[in-house]
Amino acid sequence: MSGTGLVVLIAVLVAATALGLVLRARNGRVRTPSGAGSPDGWALTGSAPEGAEQVLLLQLSSPVCTPCRQTAGVLGELAAGEPGVRHVEIDVADRPDVARALSVMRTPTTIGFDRTGRELLRVSGVPRRAELAAALAPELRGRPA
Amino acid sequence: MSAPDGSGAPARSVDPPLDPRGVRSAAGLTTVVLALVLVSGSGWLAAAQALVFALGAFAGMRFAPYGVLYRLAVAPRLGPPAEREEAAPVRFSQTVGFLFAAVGALGYLSGLTVLGIVATAFALVAAFLNAAFGFCLGCEMYGLLARARAARA
Repeated sequence: MSGTGLVVLIAVLVAATALGLVLRARNGRVRTPSGAGSPDGWALTGSAPEGAEQVLLLQLSSPVCTPCRQTAGVLGELAAGEPGVRHVEIDVADRPDVARALSVMRTPTTIGFDRTGRELLRVSGVPRRAELAAALAPELRGRPA
Repeated sequence: MSAPDGSGAPARSVDPPLDPRGVRSAAGLTTVVLALVLVSGSGWLAAAQALVFALGAFAGMRFAPYGVLYRLAVAPRLGPPAEREEAAPVRFSQTVGFLFAAVGALGYLSGLTVLGIVATAFALVAAFLNAAFGFCLGCEMYGLLARARAARA
């Protein structure tokens, strides 16, 4: 029996629980950009809005990453049901320049851009579908093609 | 590497994927063992946990003892998983776990108790985050390292 060990155990469990709660609260949450705008996602991926497309959801993934696959499922479904949304997934191993330009550290990270290339929002982790759809709604309704 | 459809989406791992419930159960068992190491101060128990990590990390996840236990005792009662998890990041996190558990065991066994406690505590944080929150620190590290390698290539 180690008294020090017991104290360390309790401290570790308390600290790790706090860290876990913070990570869980942030994971998949829609954040709106603060401060300086990021570069145009359409230009970075060599694409341009076509037809009714109002929003680009640019997903940055890494090669072996389970949440990236889940994210691709969520965003793919959203884009399939909403003609105003284009979903593009890129591999940061192929395009480290894009990750650097957008200051992305974690995968999956999803960044939403409007038609003009302005950053609307960013999600780290698997996006919460309803929250993301709600955040995009004003952009999709507001400006008819 | 691009997907065959040319979308630029990442190619998925060819390693046999894992049942995420098994990964989390194993992390739970690891958490209990590491907590016991801290309370008992047993270097040998830390060494046993290091060996458990080593089997998954170096022989492959098929041989990871807690995973074997899960497949034999728990999985048959649960039915197939709704989805599966890539094995490579999990295997990498076993390697990181092995390093911390091995350093912890050496610390306790050589009389450098503080080293034993600190190394075990770090391994415990990672195992607990995975078991309680499904957050895999080692997998995050794997992603960052894979990117750094690709950027250098």
